[in-house]
Amino acid sequence: NIDPESLLPKLPSPDELRPFPTTCATIFRGHGGRVRSLAVDPSGIWLASGGDDGTIRVWELLTGRQLWHVKISSEDAINVVRWRPGTDAVILSAAVGEDLYFVIPPIISPELESRSNTLLDEGFGYASSKPRSDSTAKIPAVQWSRPTSTRLADAGVLLKTRLRSTIKVISWHRRGNYLTTVSPSGQTSSVMIHTLSKHLTQQPFRHLKGLPQSAQFHPTKPIFFVATQRTIRTYDLSKQELLKIVQPGARWISSFDVHPLGDNLIVGSYDKRLLWHDLDLSVRPYKTLRYHKKAIRQVKFHTGGLPLFADASDDGSLQIFHGRVVGDLMENATIVPVKVLKGHGVMGSLGVLDVDWHPREPWCVSAGADGTCRLWT
Amino acid sequence: METEQVNPQMRVQLSTSQLDIVLPERNRSILVNTNLRRYGLSSLVNTLLGNEKPIPFDFLINGIFLRSSLDDYLTQHAISSETTLKLEYVKAAIPPIHLASFEHGDWVSSVDVLSTTSPAQRWSNSGGQIPGHERILSASYDGLLRVWNISSQITATSPSAGDGGHLSSIKAAKFVSPSRIASSGTDRTVRLWKYEEASDDSPAVMSQQIELYGHKASVDSIAVHQPSSRLLSASADHTVCLWSTRKSDAPAAPHSSLPVNSSRGAKRRKIGPAISTSQRGYLSSLKSHTAPVSSVIFAPNDPTVAYSTSWDHGLKTWDLPTSTPVDTRSTSHALLSLAAIPYLKLVAAGTSARHITLIDPRASATNVVAMTLRGHTNAVVSLATDPNNTFGLASGSHDGTCRIWDVRSTKTDKEGRVGQSMYSVGRESIGGVSRTSGDGVKVFGVLWDSDIGIVSAGEDKRVQINRGKGAGPITQ
Ligand SMILES: [Mg+2]
Repeated sequence: NIDPESLLPKLPSPDELRPFPTTCATIFRGHGGRVRSLAVDPSGIWLASGGDDGTIRVWELLTGRQLWHVKISSEDAINVVRWRPGTDAVILSAAVGEDLYFVIPPIISPELESRSNTLLDEGFGYASSKPRSDSTAKIPAVQWSRPTSTRLADAGVLLKTRLRSTIKVISWHRRGNYLTTVSPSGQTSSVMIHTLSKHLTQQPFRHLKGLPQSAQFHPTKPIFFVATQRTIRTYDLSKQELLKIVQPGARWISSFDVHPLGDNLIVGSYDKRLLWHDLDLSVRPYKTLRYHKKAIRQVKFHTGGLPLFADASDDGSLQIFHGRVVGDLMENATIVPVKVLKGHGVMGSLGVLDVDWHPREPWCVSAGADGTCRLWT
Repeated sequence: METEQVNPQMRVQLSTSQLDIVLPERNRSILVNTNLRRYGLSSLVNTLLGNEKPIPFDFLINGIFLRSSLDDYLTQHAISSETTLKLEYVKAAIPPIHLASFEHGDWVSSVDVLSTTSPAQRWSNSGGQIPGHERILSASYDGLLRVWNISSQITATSPSAGDGGHLSSIKAAKFVSPSRIASSGTDRTVRLWKYEEASDDSPAVMSQQIELYGHKASVDSIAVHQPSSRLLSASADHTVCLWSTRKSDAPAAPHSSLPVNSSRGAKRRKIGPAISTSQRGYLSSLKSHTAPVSSVIFAPNDPTVAYSTSWDHGLKTWDLPTSTPVDTRSTSHALLSLAAIPYLKLVAAGTSARHITLIDPRASATNVVAMTLRGHTNAVVSLATDPNNTFGLASGSHDGTCRIWDVRSTKTDKEGRVGQSMYSVGRESIGGVSRTSGDGVKVFGVLWDSDIGIVSAGEDKRVQINRGKGAGPITQ
């Protein structure tokens, strides 16, 4: 007699998979209305957040102290805040309606401020010295400029560019010169790639099937990922050709994230599913994880060397997973759910809207429709 | 049906190192019931001493507090009741009582005191006006330092940003001497202040002496050693800096760090021509940590050695004359606070993972972690040495409590022997109760002074003073 249970691979117990976040360490209060987006800065000491009240805020990560804020808009919500990667400068990007802003929060040393200013200003020289003949798209060149409001400029909001439709996603290339934005309602110009050093906005794809939801650069190769509602396409940026169409089987993709090593990705969907794809294996998911009662809004890998990933859901909780990727092509990732983080309130059927990881520690942060951000350690 | 229970007895040998509670020779070896616990033993010793007013005693077996009945202890350690058990008794720690709270308008990050026994007073050799004239120094997120008397009155406040004070939140403050104060904060500066109390009734004055520039991020911890005129600072810029507190031998400030070099700086701060102060730079910048440095102290018996803790999980030992990191002890968690336990030659480090790690910093030590103290439910961000008990420690945590520890107080859990706290002190602002994750009442700073007591500061915008007594000094 063989016990069928004994034939199943044994998953390690969560206790053996420490460290991972287990408790709420800090609640960040101050936003009026939903917090839609948040991000821990590359040095790991600050948290940036943005939300329905039209403000961007920067906080001390450990204490929850608000260090700085600026009100960008009285009509539009801040949809996304994302720090430029790297610790050579401190630049925060934010999307408000159709506008993409670049901000240097006035909380840094004169040296860092000056280097950050240089990075933002470089493109002014480029823009005036070169005609935009190299633009790939036959659309009027997108202008980059200083915000006209001196109030914003004084607050550190130093550069902006206006696209044609509401920006929902910002994602930086890890070297900090390129970033992509996604405006789902933007039709042909929904996915844009921006070059900070040239103040240049380009439209990489002329024909994009489906409604784009999110986009991301490959961490090491010139490969670009674009998610529409049902599929994720990978493109070779240098050859401008389609490589693969990943099919998670979800009805409506909300978000995805590429593993820091580049061969695996996680996909979150409004139909409550979290899917793990091993890109070497198949265009179909390697694992389908259903742990939430409501939509998954965001998924995120830890990028500082810990085998962790998290998702954020409208049911008000975050699910933390341990997911170790093995170098061996024959061996597959081991995925273990290790913790459910509860605390955010659900407001108007919206729960946790964004999640991010600390760059080194097993700590994550979450943004809630309940108006708070939370640090989990 | 009732049965007459006859309790087994055993012989214990009682001893103490506290001279005022020594038993006469003939009473030291006695037969006791093995069902006795601390309380029963304490009553017994009080009877033997003939105390009219009983003193609560604690009992140590092999240097660990007895926390069960003698019977259970024998069973746990597989000891026969035929054995004579050596019991050391000490005056028990008394739960700290709330004495006073000083209200501020904003979060309070750090506290220090001036008392007969405080380092700043001892270094000054001035004898001074104390006792009865103790002072408490608080540093606030509002950018101001305040000096208080023990009647909750402010004797002096530091100048505001517009008048040459800190430009943003202050994170650390210490008395250097009875007439001198050092502070540091998120404006990346360390500042030295003159503090003068008039002999008549006119208010005391705090005026700036030196602004120290060189850090590139928030300066979150400072340590002072007045006899050698040295100051250490720990910063989120991953460095520790060594400074002179004397204007005459402090190098010029590095030009690039000065706020005038910020393009938007002057405009933002709307300060007129620079206030007349002396800007100075560091003697050396100690680079080796790879993440924010959370805390720095001078070695208790050697001001040429420093210890620092960092979010990089490491405790580093520095040789200051050569500015060299001589040793690194690596742990598994971000270290957020630091205090020495000189008698045990250990340092205590508070972690983001809610515990305190006792570390032997000597290079010869083979075990990095000597012991783990568990009980807090959030990050341990401040630690203070117990002035009266060589085994004692106070901790301040983001869980909204301070805990009092004696490393001889332990329990056994699934990971082995861990330290457990003697007392937990909540915030009086919410009635002393605890609150999930310390939301709204995080403790940021704690200090333990022999005269004043346990002084703590936090998110509830208060400095809180509690007084208890430790288990008494151990005579060697
Ligand atoms: Mg594989």
